[in-house]
Amino acid sequence: MVGGIKMVLIDLLMMFVVAYFVGFLYYGLYRNITARFQRRFGPPIWQSFYDSIKFFNKDDSTSHGAMFFLGPVIMMTGSVITLFFIPFFKDSQHFVGLSEYGNLFVVLYLMVLGALGNALAVGVSGNPFGVMGVTRGLSRLFAMELPFYIAVIALMSINGSADIATIASNQTTLNAFAYPLLFIGAMFSFIGMMGQSPFDVVGAPVEVYSGPAVEFSGKFLAILMSQSAIFSFAKLTLMVNLFLGGASGFLELLVKTFILFLFVIAFGSIYGRFKTPQSIDFLLKVPTLIAVVGLILAS
Amino acid sequence: MRFVNIILSFIFSVYTVKLFDTGTIWQLSLGNYGFNGLVIGLEASALSSLFAIMVSLSWFIISITILKSDKKDISFSRWLPLLSFSLLLIVYASDYLLFFIGWEVMSITTYIILSNTLSKDALIKYIIFAMASALSILMAIVILYSGIGSLLYVDGHLSFLALNSNLRVALVVFMLLGLFIKMGTIGFHYWLVDSYQQADNLFSAYLSAVLSKMAIYALIVFLIEVVKIEYSIGLSYILAIIGVTSSIIATFKAIKEDDVKRLLAYSSIAQLGYILTVLAVANGLGGAIYHSIIHTMVKLLLFINIAGVITITGRSKLSQLGGLIYKMPHSFVMALIGIIVLAGMPPLGGFASKYLIYTSLLDSKFLLILSAMMFASVSSFLYVYKLIYGVYLGQPTHKKLESVKEVSIWYLIPQYLISLSLIIIGTYPALVVPYLNKILTQLNQTEIPYQNASILSANIGSYNGEVVMFAFIGIFAIVLLFLYSINSKTKEAKDRFDIAYCGEEPTVNTPLHYGYSLGKELERVGFIKIIWKNSSSHFYDFLAKSTINISTITRKLYSGNLTINFHIAILFAILILWLGV
Repeated sequence: MVGGIKMVLIDLLMMFVVAYFVGFLYYGLYRNITARFQRRFGPPIWQSFYDSIKFFNKDDSTSHGAMFFLGPVIMMTGSVITLFFIPFFKDSQHFVGLSEYGNLFVVLYLMVLGALGNALAVGVSGNPFGVMGVTRGLSRLFAMELPFYIAVIALMSINGSADIATIASNQTTLNAFAYPLLFIGAMFSFIGMMGQSPFDVVGAPVEVYSGPAVEFSGKFLAILMSQSAIFSFAKLTLMVNLFLGGASGFLELLVKTFILFLFVIAFGSIYGRFKTPQSIDFLLKVPTLIAVVGLILAS
Repeated sequence: MRFVNIILSFIFSVYTVKLFDTGTIWQLSLGNYGFNGLVIGLEASALSSLFAIMVSLSWFIISITILKSDKKDISFSRWLPLLSFSLLLIVYASDYLLFFIGWEVMSITTYIILSNTLSKDALIKYIIFAMASALSILMAIVILYSGIGSLLYVDGHLSFLALNSNLRVALVVFMLLGLFIKMGTIGFHYWLVDSYQQADNLFSAYLSAVLSKMAIYALIVFLIEVVKIEYSIGLSYILAIIGVTSSIIATFKAIKEDDVKRLLAYSSIAQLGYILTVLAVANGLGGAIYHSIIHTMVKLLLFINIAGVITITGRSKLSQLGGLIYKMPHSFVMALIGIIVLAGMPPLGGFASKYLIYTSLLDSKFLLILSAMMFASVSSFLYVYKLIYGVYLGQPTHKKLESVKEVSIWYLIPQYLISLSLIIIGTYPALVVPYLNKILTQLNQTEIPYQNASILSANIGSYNGEVVMFAFIGIFAIVLLFLYSINSKTKEAKDRFDIAYCGEEPTVNTPLHYGYSLGKELERVGFIKIIWKNSSSHFYDFLAKSTINISTITRKLYSGNLTINFHIAILFAILILWLGV
């Protein structure tokens, strides 16, 4: 352990703060950029952040008992713990969190922990529309993860290590260019993971009254928004580490994550949403095939 | 009978633990009885001891549960000692003769137990498959014996080498066929799902947790000791592909199921598929045994849990349950731990064994197989969620469900014991590694690197279970405190109909439970539709029909039109005589 437990805790706190604010910044930018795609002016950049603070202070949030209360907590825990196991920088003592105690397999499984918490809370609320959304989310999950898993497995096999920092620093040419097919396959999944069209699942506030978030209001909604912001940044950092050579400083990290983010939201803005079975069907065919070919070529 | 079970199982638990890795228990040369050179015996090697401990502890756990159960639910308990003895005979046997005797006693005793509850169809299915399995194993044993005339496992490899290549193939095919039937690998699972569903609720736990592990044990002995499987050649690929196909198909079949016990039965098939796959790769034995242990625990936990629910409510269909969480909070928490382990998520024990499995597949460069396996593993989230949602979450589907009470303490104690051990294993995932290493050394396999109990290592990297667990608990506590301390009031929902429902207010008659149709829309996905539409029953129906058709021809010789038969016979006789002359 570098510098004792106090240093680690400070490190974790800093990681959390950075992810929290950058996550909300990106969310604001996302709303602005999609607005420009649709020829309107979006809200102020920090609007989502203000919203979440406002929601924390709202009075009337309906709860459905203890498990309902714990669901968002598990979800937040899942996001934050994922963040802590992904190193921000490839060759630094700081901002590496707990990554030396885990590896890519742990991160892949921690990433789905939040989905479970959400599913439990929605289930206990007794709202059939919420469960409909959860079912869609979970069914899309396995299709979405497959190309990503294939790409990640290929990378682990090539590097002979499941350590994220090792994979990040082993890249002389960026993995995205050294193994383009793997990257393309993983990107399809990544668009879905970031909740972008065409692989997104409709969230309740959007339009139809069905989605995972349908029963959450007030501080529960606020915590869901915060965790989603943190989780987006964690996922972006992971992707940068795996395919874009990681980062050595904040500027590099922000530039790389932002490029990736821009690409993902641009993609999401042009396409319409697939129905869930359609998106499963598509993900299990085209991206999976691309990733499998990539894996065979790479090994 | 209840007390006999608990006392016997306790004694055997203590003894099996004491006997751990003590070597030969008993040996007998059958030379005096006219079988020259034939030696039989019992031996407590590390491997057999581990499985024996699993058997006796599971027996003990189930004995606790049946202490206060209703008499009609535990008709199996009088046969349980005999069944457990036969299982202990199977694992302690050091030769294939005693093994086979144990195997037969197991199959027959199971038949007797199942005959109490199973429908005629299911029972016939069971016995036909059990006999096919036993005969197939007997064939394999006979072939092996023809090698150098010894049945001992230690001579197994010499016998195997003494066979010519055709016989070797026959040996492997017969043995695997027999074991696949017992494991219920997809294609051979025709008997399994019905038996698990219709057996006594607690006996299903025993079937899934313990009985299926006998096939795993036999498979390990056969592949590692007798065949000494060479990895990365034909057989190992075939086994891996069979295993992973079995996992994927069973996972999607489980998603479709409406009956809780059938769902768990398919999940068993899927989990055994993982074990089969990892047995086919180098350094996979550790992961396979680890996963067997975890699977035994989690299936005991979930089946006992479901048994409790069925006892209380009298219902076993997900579409007819629901909303039990605040009625049975303890059971809910146990089920939650169970599904987290079954899905293989950190920070609980399920992740540890999956981690070993994944890393050994990665080491052996079985990359596509590994991808497929992780795919099956992620897909399993859907059925574990369906399980817990259908039973505990959502809305109650019947008035009766609104007035149920928590299950009796005797159902909860075993669940607490198992859950606690699963949490401990999750925190200290390498706790069992020293014991696994003993087994691996005895079987000449590479050991799993071991530093301390909290770090589970593999060639590709290690992870620290303690850190994952405490980070999880820490973050969870902080978030919970934060959310709790926020100065905004939450109001409890008025009643269960107080939900966001498109601006309308649902009533008692509104169907609010989503249990049955959960996952149904997957039918529109091509390959899942193929899995759901097809069933091995088509093949077995075809087999049965063909057999009947062929038999009909034979039958008609006796009971058909006798005049014509007589004339044909005469014609043949004349022909033969004429040709002969």
